[in-house]
Amino acid sequence: MNYTDQIREIASRLLENGQVDMVMAWEKGAFDYQSLPYVARSLEDIDKMIFDDYCVHNLSTSLLRYRDSNEKIGIVVKGCDSRGLVRLLEDNQIKRERLYIIGVCCSGVMDPLQAMIANSGFSRIKDTSGLAAKCANCIQPNPVIYDELVGATQEARGPANRFEKVSEIENMSVEERRAFFEDVFSRCIRCYACRQACIACDCRTCIFEETRPQWVGRETSISDNMMYHMVRSMHMAGRCIDCGECERVCPVGIPLMLINRKLIKEVDHLYGPYEAGMVYIEGQKPPFSVYDEKDQDDFI
Amino acid sequence: MKYFKKGQIEKIIDRLAEKADVYVPMLRGQQSGFYSWKSYDENYDDLIFDLLNVYSPPKNIVLPQTEKMYSFDQQGQEIIIKPEEIPVEPNVIFGIRSCDVKAIEYLDEVFFTRTFVDEFYKARRDQVTIVANACYNPGTNCFCKSMGVNPLEPEAADVILREVENGYVWESKTEKGNILTKQIEDLLEEKEVELYEPNRFVRKVNYDGVAEKLKDLFDHPMWEKYSDPCQTCGICTYMCPTCYCFDVQVKNWGEEGYRFRCWDSCMYREYTQMAGGHNPREAATERFRNRFLHKLQFFNERYGTPLCTGCGRCVVACPAGVDIIRMIELIKGAEPSV
Ligand code: SF4
Ligand code: SF4
Ligand code: SF4
Ligand code: SF4
Ligand code: SF4
Repeated sequence: MNYTDQIREIASRLLENGQVDMVMAWEKGAFDYQSLPYVARSLEDIDKMIFDDYCVHNLSTSLLRYRDSNEKIGIVVKGCDSRGLVRLLEDNQIKRERLYIIGVCCSGVMDPLQAMIANSGFSRIKDTSGLAAKCANCIQPNPVIYDELVGATQEARGPANRFEKVSEIENMSVEERRAFFEDVFSRCIRCYACRQACIACDCRTCIFEETRPQWVGRETSISDNMMYHMVRSMHMAGRCIDCGECERVCPVGIPLMLINRKLIKEVDHLYGPYEAGMVYIEGQKPPFSVYDEKDQDDFI
Repeated sequence: MKYFKKGQIEKIIDRLAEKADVYVPMLRGQQSGFYSWKSYDENYDDLIFDLLNVYSPPKNIVLPQTEKMYSFDQQGQEIIIKPEEIPVEPNVIFGIRSCDVKAIEYLDEVFFTRTFVDEFYKARRDQVTIVANACYNPGTNCFCKSMGVNPLEPEAADVILREVENGYVWESKTEKGNILTKQIEDLLEEKEVELYEPNRFVRKVNYDGVAEKLKDLFDHPMWEKYSDPCQTCGICTYMCPTCYCFDVQVKNWGEEGYRFRCWDSCMYREYTQMAGGHNPREAATERFRNRFLHKLQFFNERYGTPLCTGCGRCVVACPAGVDIIRMIELIKGAEPSV
């Protein structure tokens, strides 16, 4: 998949006729397997812009940096990323008219981070030519919202076993499950990269940054770590768009998508049918942003 | 030369572990770092002397991510303060690379010099013996040599291991090193072996003049531009062997509780949050700039060296591909804006 020419053409046109002030896409890093987020603000910047198999990042999250400005922004999104745009629009984080959305029908990408780790002597894994973990179970390779589309429409890939691992955990005994999660969460170094990479985390002040009062302690102890993850995961309910960025960026390999998928499953089951960001309808809100008398409350 | 065969390495670690807690490089499931030999589980852990380096830096051995400082208990008018006992078991960091040894030297500067000695750091650091593993085969993103680190001669090491065909040369450098040598004497052979020719570095950068140049670049538009991809996630600082920032926080239940310190990062908003609500580094760009200014300018002004040993971890681990080597080049190429 290489849409560099198409993306450059569109970006030049948009910048030239003043339709946007900047275009968010990618550029190449130091290695073939490294693509990184890039913002073009003028025609001179266009030469660097690319779209290839390593454009894994969900750029919609970067829009949060511009939520208080007035610039018009062109943004390149894959199928999964486009669902992030829907979430931002639903949460009134950015106005639709400020965006020009260049949607890419995505045949799956590879993860430059895994390739960097493998090629730099930090891992035994040598082959990183496979699709990124998130792409293997992609349910939405085609953008759900766009102004212009690039590439041919793609089939969803293996959505059937998206909840396989979730069921595995559900079938554990309570003790087994506790042991599993204690082991997993004890590794967390609380760098908050999972939060920063996340499109669902669009709060201006995150609860973990509150100091008066401080809701969650900053120790890397099992209790503070558990608390962090419990709060984080609850806040993903009905918001996670399955883009996999949190799990991808975690430096200690915590299976965050396992937890997110459980919540996707539960929200769909209790308040659904629902899956976050699959369709944009003006004024529509996700289940946890509205109150409905018919909402389930038998657990109270 | 003192020498041992590769197959002997676990025996050597076992022997050293009789008198000290030995930290060795391991892959532990999804993690990679220095872990205590006492916790080694052969069914789960994988010793990685054959890989370049561990992903999580060894700084937590001298600067734990969370460390209790003292506890308190208020009884009526009286406050009882109990200092925390710092565990002081001797330990050995076995197989650490030059870049990470240099990082400990920088931590020593920070916590020992310029009028203040940090007693928590000192208690741990005094117990450490460093057995370094010289690098004859730098990784793709290693650039230690460019940052003034010699991958073959880690200065603060007590012992240097040199990988040779089928084995390692054991070279003691200090009194502390000699003590270890005595301990394993019967496991070492006297043998003349040929050392490898060191391989070349893939990546290089020239740091000369960067600190001086940065003085004029504080308001340069480059920071806005190059911080675009940065998510201010903090991975680059937590994974960095030299970043030493910490915060002092408290936990209490009613009248009793304890104070502890924990790693902190200039990439976080909370790091510069002031009591009155003002934050001098509110924007991501400002935090991004601080990281590079501290590493490449401020630290150099205070200690005469950049706060980067070229280990390459931040380059590898940054989810957005921010690359300090490239940043140094961009700084060198920047036109100071007036
Ligand atoms: S990215 Fe990983 S290590 Fe960092 S806070 Fe999230 S789960 Fe913890
Ligand atoms: S940066 Fe230098 S010392 Fe560190 S692992 Fe690479 S070659 Fe070895
Ligand atoms: S430079 Fe990279 S690792 Fe560091 S805070 Fe920014 S995105 Fe995270
Ligand atoms: S700044 Fe980056 S390359 Fe330098 S020591 Fe820290 S992690 Fe290593
Ligand atoms: S100020 Fe930032 S770059 Fe400097 S040591 Fe602290 S965390 Fe690292």
